Amino acid sequence: MKVALVIGLATGAINGLVALGIVLVYKGARVFNFAQAEFGTVAAFAAWGALTKAHLPYGLAIVVGLAAAVAMGMAVERAIVRPLRARPPVTTLVATAGVALLCIGLELALGGARMRVFPPVPVTFNVSVMGVMLSTQRIIAILVVISLGLALAWFFSRTSLGLAVLATSQEAIAARLAGISIDHVSTFIWGSAALLGGIAGLLLAPINPFSPGFMTMGTLIPAFTAAVIGGLTSLPGAFVGGVLIGIAQGLGQQYLGSVIPGAPSVVVFGLLLTVLLIRPKGLFGAEV
Amino acid sequence: MPPRSRPEAAVAFLEIEDLSIHFGGVRALDGVDLKVGEWEIVGLIGPNGAGKTTLFNCVTGFYRPDRGRVRYRGKDVTHMRPHRRAAMGFGRTFQQVGLVRSLTVMENLLVAQHARVRYTALEALVGVPGAFTEERELRRRAEGILDFLELSPVRDERIQGLPYGAQKLVELGAVLATEPDILLLDEPSSGMAPEEARTLGETLLRMRRELELTILMIEHHVPLVVGVCDHVFVLNFGRMLADGPPSEIQRHPEVIAAYLGEEAVDGPS
Amino acid sequence: MASRTDNKRTVAGEVTPGVTAGAGAHEDAKVFRPSPIGWAARASFLLVVFGGLLVLPLILPGYRTFQYSYALIFAIVGLSVNVLSGYAGQISLGHQAFVGVGAFVSGNLVSEQHLSFWLALPLAAVSGGVAAGLLGLVALRLRGLYLALVTLAYGAVATASIFEIKSLTRGGAGMPAPRPAGFTSDRAYTYLVLGVFALVLWVDWRLVRSKVGRALFALRENEQVAASFGIDVTLYKVLAFVLSGFFAGVAGSLFAHWRTTVVASDFDFILALTFVLMAVVGGLGSRAGVVIGSAFFALLPVLLGTVTVKPFGLLALWVTAFGAALLLITLRFYPGGVGQQIQPLVRWASGGRLGLNSRAPAESAGGGSGVS
Repeated sequence: MKVALVIGLATGAINGLVALGIVLVYKGARVFNFAQAEFGTVAAFAAWGALTKAHLPYGLAIVVGLAAAVAMGMAVERAIVRPLRARPPVTTLVATAGVALLCIGLELALGGARMRVFPPVPVTFNVSVMGVMLSTQRIIAILVVISLGLALAWFFSRTSLGLAVLATSQEAIAARLAGISIDHVSTFIWGSAALLGGIAGLLLAPINPFSPGFMTMGTLIPAFTAAVIGGLTSLPGAFVGGVLIGIAQGLGQQYLGSVIPGAPSVVVFGLLLTVLLIRPKGLFGAEV
Repeated sequence: MPPRSRPEAAVAFLEIEDLSIHFGGVRALDGVDLKVGEWEIVGLIGPNGAGKTTLFNCVTGFYRPDRGRVRYRGKDVTHMRPHRRAAMGFGRTFQQVGLVRSLTVMENLLVAQHARVRYTALEALVGVPGAFTEERELRRRAEGILDFLELSPVRDERIQGLPYGAQKLVELGAVLATEPDILLLDEPSSGMAPEEARTLGETLLRMRRELELTILMIEHHVPLVVGVCDHVFVLNFGRMLADGPPSEIQRHPEVIAAYLGEEAVDGPS
Repeated sequence: MASRTDNKRTVAGEVTPGVTAGAGAHEDAKVFRPSPIGWAARASFLLVVFGGLLVLPLILPGYRTFQYSYALIFAIVGLSVNVLSGYAGQISLGHQAFVGVGAFVSGNLVSEQHLSFWLALPLAAVSGGVAAGLLGLVALRLRGLYLALVTLAYGAVATASIFEIKSLTRGGAGMPAPRPAGFTSDRAYTYLVLGVFALVLWVDWRLVRSKVGRALFALRENEQVAASFGIDVTLYKVLAFVLSGFFAGVAGSLFAHWRTTVVASDFDFILALTFVLMAVVGGLGSRAGVVIGSAFFALLPVLLGTVTVKPFGLLALWVTAFGAALLLITLRFYPGGVGQQIQPLVRWASGGRLGLNSRAPAESAGGGSGVS
């Protein structure tokens, strides 16, 4: 049980990070970004290429990975999201699904479907939490996500840019009249979300061998469930939701895994359905 | 205030009793009583926000009232779902045009007959001969309504491509296609020029006579109300303010007072 | 009583042809009917198309008929998605679940319960309908985005969990699904699939031209208006899911016996998105468009085969990316998909005018969808 809890905490933190990206885009642009997880896969592949093919140092490879993700995010915003702004929201949803599929397709085409191993971080420290050994990678994941969560919360409540983003999402016309450029805010949101997604991918990739689309396959559904549990507009909620989901997945696998195949998916689905049917606002959300 | 008894309403076709509903903290309707007699044309007037459309929504089943009853031909329909009421004979128009915009005029007139179709869904899917025959029948009925309203030239136009006045006319046609016994019209003359409103009045009278309809309508257009309604109810702040024949209502001091804050374009004369 | 001419000028005045110019020359109220030559031309065209479909399995070599039936199966799935998303406007990101249910049920009934294929197929269809109907019940409470997420998660649970239950699906080993007697050859099975495809088309046609289809179009756009016309919105919403699931179950069963084995990984997340994308590219709401779009996506990897082009390498690997790119282009520039592009042709073939303006009406379907 403790193992599941602690390991779940790390996976949950990463889910939470993807969830943060989903909430960021939803909060800032009222769009559900189906491709949020895929930012991470793109970053992972780019960094992997930099490390294994171009033999760049670790730190630089990370930067390359993140840059690739951010570039993708901004390209998506410019080429897909902005032109579809006037259309019904479901169109953008399907479009972002198309983007995710495009990325997965390109990953498959360019490199094939095989698994790859992402070189681990060149430092090692192990920590024991509640008697359970946590690998370096997992500790880094938890620490990074917590700091990011705090930084985002501060950003949205204290900085004028953060407030501008909120203003645009709630009252686009008024925000524009106040001199805020919707296009700039939009680019910023998508770039930041891509950054968050990229970080998530780079945190998860070294933990297990990865393959095309691994972030979307592994984290999208838990992440949006986390976002929903948190209330689609609450950043701390997304993080808490992510951790809860991670733990629930771990517990599910441990206790139900022998009886029900794919227990973690079932658990997550059950949570999603329960929250949506009983309390659609989630635990923290201000609006549905 | 209880509605005045009048001989026409002895056979109460539609009866609203003590209807109340609130949203949030706001009491949208408070103890409203209203009676419509068979084959009457009754007007429901009042300033904006008085609760007229809310009343319609309760009568047609889109809102569930907190208190009170809606009775139709003696039967309590207060908790009946909207589509069942439509099948029972409630025809209703909406402030925004109550049509399926992406379909054509003809297709709307076909959908509108939904409650009258006899074949079942299963029979439709399989393609039973009876379904084919009935489809032709539906089309014929639709053509008849198009003729009645002189809309045949636009039979195959999409609703969204038509001018507003034509859309409202098509909506009237669609409502007629549901074969209603009572029509609830929500501002039928809105967007119409005075000439058109006059013709609408004549059309309503013609419909009442030829189709044996009962009509309850929300209206702002005073000449139409005066010219066509047998009886008028006045709603203000969710409460029934007064009721009576149009001539009386026009001179009613409280009614005038209630409208004074309003842009009464064709004010009481 | 005002005269008829008076009415024409006032209330109906705006309705005369002069003011609604551009509506197509409706000088009179008569419906357009083609001339005898027009009928002959249309009939020949349809004969060539449908006749071609019918004769193709005889001409094609064996392995090509295998691919042909695959395309037909995909077309049935496309029609299934079209009923739910095109006609009823409900998004479905987990459609592979319904197809998979049909596949496994059919395979199971034939291999383990030793039922005849001819019984297994309808039962598979029913199970697909039930699986979708459950989701339909959920759809009564959820809208838009939340419904989309639930459909996605539902599909994922099906693939990750339900389809892996060994007692139902034999897990990784795969559920065998033998073809019925007399139809074991690829060519014969293709005719079986063609026959079922024709049946599905028939039901879809009856659906659209009856109160059921019209009810779906109405509730897709405005539930209040639909209810005021006497449509039981709850019933028809669930019915849309059930019908869609029914078609999907049919496709699943046909697929299982086409492959003669099914495994859970046949129904993954990428397949779900492929179904959505082929329906959108085909054109939601357009039967012909969806069939063409679906067949195209089914055949594409096959047609590309072992073609290798520098610097892309094996072209068949690029299918997913290509498909996704098509989806994005469709959403951005051609929201009606293939269906909208071929609409004038379809209208002509069904007895309408040959007019190239797309403003003219389409009686074939509600026209347009929630996704464009």
